[in-house]
Amino acid sequence: MKLEGTNTLPASVNTVWKTINDPEALRRCTPGLKELKEVAPDTYEARLEIGVAAVKGAYTGRLAITDKRPPTHYIITLEGSGGPGFMKGQGTVDLEREGDATLVRWVGDIQIGGLIAGVGQRMIGGIGKMLIGQFFKCLEQTLGGAAPAGGGGPRAGGDAAGSGEVG
Amino acid sequence: MSTRYVGARIPRNEDPRLLQGHGLFVDDVRLPGMAHMALLRSPHAHARIRRIDTDRARDAPGVLAVYTHADLGALGNPLPKLIPHPSLVHHKTQYALAPDTVRYAGEPVACVVAESRYAAEDAVDLITVDYEPLPVAATLEQAIAPQAPLVHEDIGTNIAARYAQRVGDVEQAFAAAPHRFRERLVIDRGASCPMETRGVVASWDARAGRLDVWDSTQAPIPIRNGLAAMFGLPQQNVRVVAPDVGGGFGPKIMMFYPEEILVPLAAMRLGRPVKWIEDRRENMVATNQEREQIHDAEIAVDADGRILGVRTVFLYDAGAYIPYGLIVPIVASTTLPGPYRIPNYHCEFTAVFTNKTTVSPYRGAGRPHGVFVMERLLDRVARELRVDRTEVRRRNLIQPDQFPYDVGLIYQDNAPLRYDSGNYPACLDRALEIIQYAEWPARQGTSRSQGRYLGLGVACYVEGTGIGPYEGCRITVEPSGKVFVATGVGTQGQGHMTSFAQIAADALGVAPRDVAVYTGDTGLFNWGTGTFASRAATVAGNAVGLAAQAVREKARVVAAKLLEAPAEEIELEGGRVFVRGVPARSLSLGEVALAANPLRFAMPPEWEGPGLEAIRYFTPSQGTFSNGVHACVVEVDPETGMLTILRYVVVHDCGRVINPTILEGQIHGGVAQGLGGVFWEKLAYDAQAQPLSTTFMDYLIPTSAEVPPFEIDHVETPSPLNPLGVKGAGEAGVIPVAAAVAQAVEDALAPFDVRIAEMPLSPNRLRQLIAEVRRTT
Amino acid sequence: MKPAPFEYFAPRSVGEAVHLLAEHGTEAKVLAGGQSLVPLMNMRLARPSVIVDINRIPGLDYITPGPMLRIGALCRQRTAEKSAEVGARCPLLRDALRLVGHTQIRNRGTVGGSIAHADPAAELTAVLAALGGEVMVQGPKGARAIAASDFFVTYLTTSLASDELLTEVRFPAPPPGAGWSWMEIARRHGDFALVGVGAVLALRDGVIAEARIALTGVGPTPVRAQDAERLLVGQAPSEGLWEEAGAAVRASLEPDGDIHASPEYRTHVAAVLTCRALREALTRVREAS
Repeated sequence: MKLEGTNTLPASVNTVWKTINDPEALRRCTPGLKELKEVAPDTYEARLEIGVAAVKGAYTGRLAITDKRPPTHYIITLEGSGGPGFMKGQGTVDLEREGDATLVRWVGDIQIGGLIAGVGQRMIGGIGKMLIGQFFKCLEQTLGGAAPAGGGGPRAGGDAAGSGEVG
Repeated sequence: MSTRYVGARIPRNEDPRLLQGHGLFVDDVRLPGMAHMALLRSPHAHARIRRIDTDRARDAPGVLAVYTHADLGALGNPLPKLIPHPSLVHHKTQYALAPDTVRYAGEPVACVVAESRYAAEDAVDLITVDYEPLPVAATLEQAIAPQAPLVHEDIGTNIAARYAQRVGDVEQAFAAAPHRFRERLVIDRGASCPMETRGVVASWDARAGRLDVWDSTQAPIPIRNGLAAMFGLPQQNVRVVAPDVGGGFGPKIMMFYPEEILVPLAAMRLGRPVKWIEDRRENMVATNQEREQIHDAEIAVDADGRILGVRTVFLYDAGAYIPYGLIVPIVASTTLPGPYRIPNYHCEFTAVFTNKTTVSPYRGAGRPHGVFVMERLLDRVARELRVDRTEVRRRNLIQPDQFPYDVGLIYQDNAPLRYDSGNYPACLDRALEIIQYAEWPARQGTSRSQGRYLGLGVACYVEGTGIGPYEGCRITVEPSGKVFVATGVGTQGQGHMTSFAQIAADALGVAPRDVAVYTGDTGLFNWGTGTFASRAATVAGNAVGLAAQAVREKARVVAAKLLEAPAEEIELEGGRVFVRGVPARSLSLGEVALAANPLRFAMPPEWEGPGLEAIRYFTPSQGTFSNGVHACVVEVDPETGMLTILRYVVVHDCGRVINPTILEGQIHGGVAQGLGGVFWEKLAYDAQAQPLSTTFMDYLIPTSAEVPPFEIDHVETPSPLNPLGVKGAGEAGVIPVAAAVAQAVEDALAPFDVRIAEMPLSPNRLRQLIAEVRRTT
Repeated sequence: MKPAPFEYFAPRSVGEAVHLLAEHGTEAKVLAGGQSLVPLMNMRLARPSVIVDINRIPGLDYITPGPMLRIGALCRQRTAEKSAEVGARCPLLRDALRLVGHTQIRNRGTVGGSIAHADPAAELTAVLAALGGEVMVQGPKGARAIAASDFFVTYLTTSLASDELLTEVRFPAPPPGAGWSWMEIARRHGDFALVGVGAVLALRDGVIAEARIALTGVGPTPVRAQDAERLLVGQAPSEGLWEEAGAAVRASLEPDGDIHASPEYRTHVAAVLTCRALREALTRVREAS
């Protein structure tokens, strides 16, 4: 499943770059990420509990940052497997200065397999976009800015207001 | 001999038991100390297995054993090849547990045996597998592309086989033909969805050296023989019972499924009975599937639409393994000519491996594809030449005086494809009469003026049935007068306990309710091949008939001695045996049976053994050919793409009908499955061959609300090839459905100029087709 | 398909149920009809460690008429469907209920459960949104009402806190003389809607005084088509007006696709069904007067 979008973050390119490489920020903002343990430079063992409402699964796997071209480009990969199946998300991230803010362009490829894919196809696309939206919202908050009205978030129907029981 | 019961609509013997919940399905088998198996299945469509860690699972509460491929020994080898073929160069078969590579999502990787299924599933969750995902050959086109990911690396290709059959000179015919038309036709994957999923129970008695297995299979005898060979046991010491089976439809004829090996293995190693019942999600990935083919087809006709030649080249998706060989594409190839005279024919297919569930026959087994191609080609001819669609068919039909008709091909039984009997024009006429074809243009005109889009479709087909090699039957009359019939086929809803009883009852002069029929138990009858290819009524039914005749003759011989009359004058009726014209001087059939088994003194040599019992086999030299015509009226809402089936007519000829109610039940079920494959049922995958429709929420089988009441009529042209004159009917319902509905949808959407060249359709797809035409016009 | 182990409680009062929810938080799930929860548990996609079965709490299965039709959390969908009160006061709800699953499912499923489950393709959530209804919930600190517009957050997610129990669903009565229509496209009878539209129309002096349109199957939550509603109010009904409303609905939606229907299909059919629903609602206005 391919997704793409843009988000504007209220900080300079360098600040945003630092934040999206910071394991603390990643752990806090990646939906469902419970534990992140560095095992090599830019490589982490990850433990996730991810899902929506009652439908949750526990996954173990890794998070890796590759193709680093500071301060504007990298590829971030998060993959995990567990009872409900496996998931692999890979995002190519590019940062661009936009005045005092930073425009983040991302292109993502999400693969889901196993039991959850065979049952959840109806909602997985939408939920994937929603979770990515949450990631960026958290980053915005981390960077101390007020959430910009509208924002160029991932294209999705409806409005993901409130935090609900996700993650 | 009377034919009082054959042909009659009597209620089924099996119904009181089944309807009161007294059936015995595999999950009803409960043995003391029984343990339960659950399987860990690959979530990846293609991956290397780097490591499997089972320690936590082994330590989990209630767990008795955990097995991976490394634990299987010789049973870890590829499972048997079922139907070899000279063209099947790469006859790759499946494993009981994946060795180092998984090739479809759902392939078993490990199994757990525990005190309960709950505990077994808890333990399965604790097994961790380190997979290295590999590139996936997710579709037919991907799999045959150059540099395609290889499903089986060691063979260097994804092509399992290539095979062609030809009649006459198709090149010449096409070169000389005034008209040639080409179509690309695509049919997608479907699953059989039996109400009862698969299941196996095995029990091992180490002291007696006996293995007892209950298996929801269509082929208990070959399973028994295979298990005996694989486990090194005498066949006599292995009993396989296919008890009541809630639907087979083809995928349950496949062997060996991994669980059919793992469950007996576990039972033998643990010394406890073991049960595995497939859940629905497993059934959607781990039970064989079928239907995926892509045809490039052409037809050459003269100016009147008479067929000069037909050619098709197609791709057949075999899935990850091909244990059942090339039966489905061969059946498709040999069904395509249908009821038409085709002087020149060329059919070629390529069987291709993909990273999807293994494919083996599912009701129709390729016949629906052959019919879809032929009927769509004829519809194209009708449209292009502006000939009425039924007229173009009529001009090409084989006539009643042309039988036996040699098509010129070799059928799936390796015998010549020679139609034995039939009246194709009569079936077509009858179907058109019932659907009121003559009034159709007016009716369609009226509905269009009301803003409704109705369409009518007609399709014809011939079905090869009743193939060999053989089936057998033993009939025994007990002193109680009750008749016992045992045969080697199994029963998955075909009503054999009734239809076979009717055959025996007619010969022996008893009521069908006094005939007990046993099928599917190797302990009761252990020669036979199974229930498949619409053959049980023809082959096993005739074996029943032959055995019943033999018992009847024996009863006359024995009674003749007792009643002091010539055997030729002895009659059997109403459960009694008497001299013709002297009913007062009679014995009950049971008394004759008792007398046939003397305890002392000499037994007449002409009896050739004691008892009223006989074993007979029926061995057809070739198949017998049923045929039919389906006609339907549909309505399409062009704004929403929704399809409603308003009327569905079946005119069917399966020779002599044994029980019209049972036959109609078979047709109803087949048509429903056919309709499912037209508008609802589609196995969806993502680009990595991940199955996306593994529950009934997304794999849509039609409900009674989607299917109209059927209108069924029969034509009977008996088969000259067997004593009963019967032909097969099990698959008939499904065979021409896609063709008939495709024509009807095109007819309904004629104002939009939409062409249907694929199955299944959906509301989304119909809207797309309508929008596409709008865009290009 | 056997669920993972769980602890089971069957409280006899709302207070007891709320206490259990507060104690176990997100590890607890409420079991009412079970028609959504139990399959998820059997497939091990949901593994709540605690089940709070509310089926033994007395007094929650009522249908009480009034300015709002009040339906207790344990009222079975089939009961509501067959209820004379529902048929008389809220026929939109009755018509939508007939399309929820099959009879067998409705015999066990509850109205409250369906609302709390918030499936993006459910019928009842769109009906609640169309009528501007609300739910009553009970938590450790007491009861509160939540309007439909605040209740549905996203896929399968509502603003119910983990220690709150939904106790009642309230459907406002449509204005007198109003017409209604529920239309949906589903692959089979009883399936989740690919697209569903609920519409209510009230006329005064020949023009539209009130219009409510809500859709399901086109987003993570039910969608109120407010642009279309505004376009309709004050206008005289006509075929052209319905098409405008349909176009406004189409323009406002960005649904996802799935294996059954693409986004284009859903927006197109949303427009078609909006037109048809408004047409039918108008017919009913005329029948009522």
